[in-house]
Amino acid sequence: MNTTEEKIVARTEDLVKVYGEGSASVRALDGVSLALGAAELTAIMGPSGSGKSTLLHCMAGLDRATSGRVYVGDVDLGSLDEKRLTRLRRDKVGFVFQAYNLVPTLTAAENIALPMDIAGRNPDRAWMDGVIEAVGLRDRLRHRPAELSGGEQQRVAAARALVSRPEITFADEPTGNLDSRSGAELLGFMRRSVGEYGQTIAMVTHDPTAAGYADRVIFLSDGRIVDEMRAPTAERVLDRMKSLGS
Amino acid sequence: MWKATIRGLLAHKLRLALTALAVVLGVGFVTGTYVLTDTMNRAFTDLFRDAVAGVDVYVRSHAAFAGPSAETERRPIPERLLETVRGVEGVRVAEGSVAGYAQLVDRRGKAVAPMGPPTLGVSWTTDRTLASLTIRAGRAPERPGEAVLDAVSARAHGFGVGDSVTVLFQGPTERFRVVGIAGFGEADNMGGATLVAFDLRTAQRVLGRPGALDTIEVAADPGVPAATLRDRIAAVLPPGVEAVTGRAVGSEEAKSLQEALSFFRTALLVFAGVALFVGAFIIFNTFGILVTQRARELALLRALGASRSQVTRSVVAESAIVGAVASGAGIGAGVLMALALRGLLAAFGIDLPSVGLQILPRTIVISLVVGIAVTLAASVLPARRAGRVSPIEALRDAEADRPTSLRTRSFVGGIGTVGGAAALGAGLFAGAGIGVVGAGVAAVFLGVAILAPLVARPLARVIGAPFARLRGLTGRLGRENAMRNPRRTAATSSALMVGLALVGTFLILGASLKVSLGKAIERSLRADYVLTAGSHFTGFSPALAERLRGRPEIAAVSEIRIGFWRKPGSTSLRMVTAVDPATVERVLALGVRPGNVAGLRPDEVLVSRRAAERGRIRVGDRLDMEFPASGTAPLTVAGLFDEGGLVGDYAVSLAAYGRLFTSRLDSMVLVRAAPGRAPGEVRGVLAREIGAFPSVRLEDQAGMRRQQEGMIDQLLGLVTALLGLAVVIALLGIVNTLALAVFERRREFGLLRAVGMSRRQVRAMVRHESVIIALIGGVLGLGIGLFFGWALVAALGDAGVTELALPTAQLAVFLALAGLAGVLAAVLPARRAARVDILRAVTVD
Repeated sequence: MNTTEEKIVARTEDLVKVYGEGSASVRALDGVSLALGAAELTAIMGPSGSGKSTLLHCMAGLDRATSGRVYVGDVDLGSLDEKRLTRLRRDKVGFVFQAYNLVPTLTAAENIALPMDIAGRNPDRAWMDGVIEAVGLRDRLRHRPAELSGGEQQRVAAARALVSRPEITFADEPTGNLDSRSGAELLGFMRRSVGEYGQTIAMVTHDPTAAGYADRVIFLSDGRIVDEMRAPTAERVLDRMKSLGS
Repeated sequence: MWKATIRGLLAHKLRLALTALAVVLGVGFVTGTYVLTDTMNRAFTDLFRDAVAGVDVYVRSHAAFAGPSAETERRPIPERLLETVRGVEGVRVAEGSVAGYAQLVDRRGKAVAPMGPPTLGVSWTTDRTLASLTIRAGRAPERPGEAVLDAVSARAHGFGVGDSVTVLFQGPTERFRVVGIAGFGEADNMGGATLVAFDLRTAQRVLGRPGALDTIEVAADPGVPAATLRDRIAAVLPPGVEAVTGRAVGSEEAKSLQEALSFFRTALLVFAGVALFVGAFIIFNTFGILVTQRARELALLRALGASRSQVTRSVVAESAIVGAVASGAGIGAGVLMALALRGLLAAFGIDLPSVGLQILPRTIVISLVVGIAVTLAASVLPARRAGRVSPIEALRDAEADRPTSLRTRSFVGGIGTVGGAAALGAGLFAGAGIGVVGAGVAAVFLGVAILAPLVARPLARVIGAPFARLRGLTGRLGRENAMRNPRRTAATSSALMVGLALVGTFLILGASLKVSLGKAIERSLRADYVLTAGSHFTGFSPALAERLRGRPEIAAVSEIRIGFWRKPGSTSLRMVTAVDPATVERVLALGVRPGNVAGLRPDEVLVSRRAAERGRIRVGDRLDMEFPASGTAPLTVAGLFDEGGLVGDYAVSLAAYGRLFTSRLDSMVLVRAAPGRAPGEVRGVLAREIGAFPSVRLEDQAGMRRQQEGMIDQLLGLVTALLGLAVVIALLGIVNTLALAVFERRREFGLLRAVGMSRRQVRAMVRHESVIIALIGGVLGLGIGLFFGWALVAALGDAGVTELALPTAQLAVFLALAGLAGVLAAVLPARRAARVDILRAVTVD
């Protein structure tokens, strides 16, 4: 790892996102400025409707901001056309969603290799083996998603996100559909990939336990950043959330 | 429940609209066929009524039946009968007329040959009440050398009053001055026929009726009923001559036309039926998919207390509404189609009198019933499946497509396929009739469609292999998607299968016909050159053969004439060929054995070996043959022959033909070059000689073969074009299925887009799936077509189709076209898939 702790992988400047028009409009993001450092696991928390998912979507290039800027590395996402944005997602960004994470017709192994397949690149075998080993899926690789448990599916999704060595991985409620044991396995893997492989992960969650795995927690309310916590524990996060009135 | 039904319809407008389009096209075909044929029927009935409007009684020789060219097949009557008729009490006016073969030559020296309708020469009727022709410009023909043309021919070929025109006859070609242009009542010509009119004396001379008439047209004194006058006239006529009322002649002609039109109508309706059959697959598939997609909604209804039959009924009601709306639109589309076709006929020079489109109540009822019935029938199974959705499914989110047991499926499908094939065999080989053949074909299609899901997955795997290998990820995903739901893939490709199976059948039949004909020509034709008339049912003047005979470059000239006969009491016409016993063997290897053709007498007939076998005819038998002009004649079977290509099944001598028929036109002249003459020299002589006979075509052996093949190709082209509609409907089915699949998989597309798949890649993936589905339909269809073609060729073995030929290249082209169709069908669904909103796809709602 030649990156330093201070290196910024993704950031936003005064990000605003408005849905709808006129009196019916909703300000989902209201001037968010945020920088995500390399090799950090950041949790974004907040009550329902606080804009945490919108923030993630905008930063990942899945949605366009109404105003303000989003950078991944040095690239201003607002300046990219649809094609370049797609290529950026493919090459520099990884994703883990709450559900619908895998292509049902592909096996676990094929799903993991998907981003590379799309790009027409050969996967780095050694790295891929390492990732598969780390998520503990060696004996499930030939199975289709329908034959995997929810936890296994999410771990496949996480492996897929990391296998192309993206600059940053975004996870939207990755443990939302999982029981606590599967959730813990997934979070443990994400924690290790940050610690051991120097990956950068931003994760939206409303689960204080999940946030407890993070290096840093950002609290959002009504579209603004209201607080930030370093080296969190589940209890401290829970307390803070209570004070936000969620 | 009704509210749910209506809401369900509205919620799936686009999907149902595509389904409805399949019904619209099929029903439109049905309606269009009826409207067009009814309109033509009405137009011609009016035309014939107008033609005989002023004539109360016709006097003409008796004919046993009317052949395909009725005008020339009655014997002439002596001209002196005219005075006898004029002497009958109650006759106000009587006039004689003749009609026969007369073909115009256009300004470039080519014979004017309409496609189908005859080329007529007639005498001008001077009495205005009797006449059906009216002068549009100039005046009536009055003396030799003058002619009047019909307005369409004059316009189409640029003839005006004062111009000079060349006309071909049975006898020598002559030139005339155009003195007038005539119309036929309101119409510019008579149903597409070309017409040249002369004064009676000239007409008698050029049409070969010196001192004779074809008919006498009579108008009655005021107050004398036509029937009364007919009886009075009949009393003074010699035997063999009859008196018929004008009305009877009009309806007689209308009737023979109606028969021809009803054949045309049936042929078109068969293709409309194919289109509807294909449409049924699409309806079945769409409703099936909709039921699957709405399983939760239907389960909710069940959970709220709706009974199974209520749910089933609501789906049936939905399909009934779709069927009714689509049939209504189909009727509209059919009327438009009929209008367009009428315009097309006009463009081909068939000028119909201005009759409004005939939209009979019968047409509307049939179209509605057929459209709704097909839609309902196709939705029965999906509706039953809807009823079986269990209330618990409301709580699960599953793309549950519970397959029916494979055993039942293979049993039912196997029975259908085998039973259908058996019915087909019974119809083709055991003479069980065309209806059984049709039912067998339909059963085979249904059987294979039921079995198709069993093979859809492996087929998709094999057909998709090149895609997966060459196109990488998108090809692999396309293949996986095609394999994903074998029932759906199978149902979608089945629609295309039907069209391609029929195309394949006809391609194989056509190719086999061509090879068989080619072999027959090769085997039997000893002539170096063949002279033929451009059109099948007319001939050319025997003067040509006369001029060729005795030229030193030519070793043998032999004429062939054709006519029609029937077994007394039967209605189906058969062909008889007249040959010159003295020369025919030098140009044609007939293979007569036993017997010989050289000694063929005028009361004898030769029968082909295969017709003899079929009809259990032996040499020495007496064959009663009924001819249009001469009635029944007993002919003795003098021998059997092999050749079946050019001569057909029955051959008589030219002398016998002269006795039995009134026509003297040659339909073919076979020429053999003198030994040692250069081919170019003989060809040059022939080309010079036929210069005076512009309707004659000169072909060598290869050309003869090409000409025959060209005719088959033309027919094949027509059939393929008519099947095209079924293929278009099948395409709609693929579009529809893909659109539904895209809708179902929008989350998946969204995910793929989110992880970096480009829109182009998404489109490629959908396209690959579509092409694989289309190719499955193509492979299944051509497989069935191969079987049908083989069966048909085997069945037609004794009708002269002796060889089975596989037009591999053409079949491959159609398979490629099926693939291309898949590309086309994917355009819109692929675009939709590529436009999936990524965010909405990947977030939980």
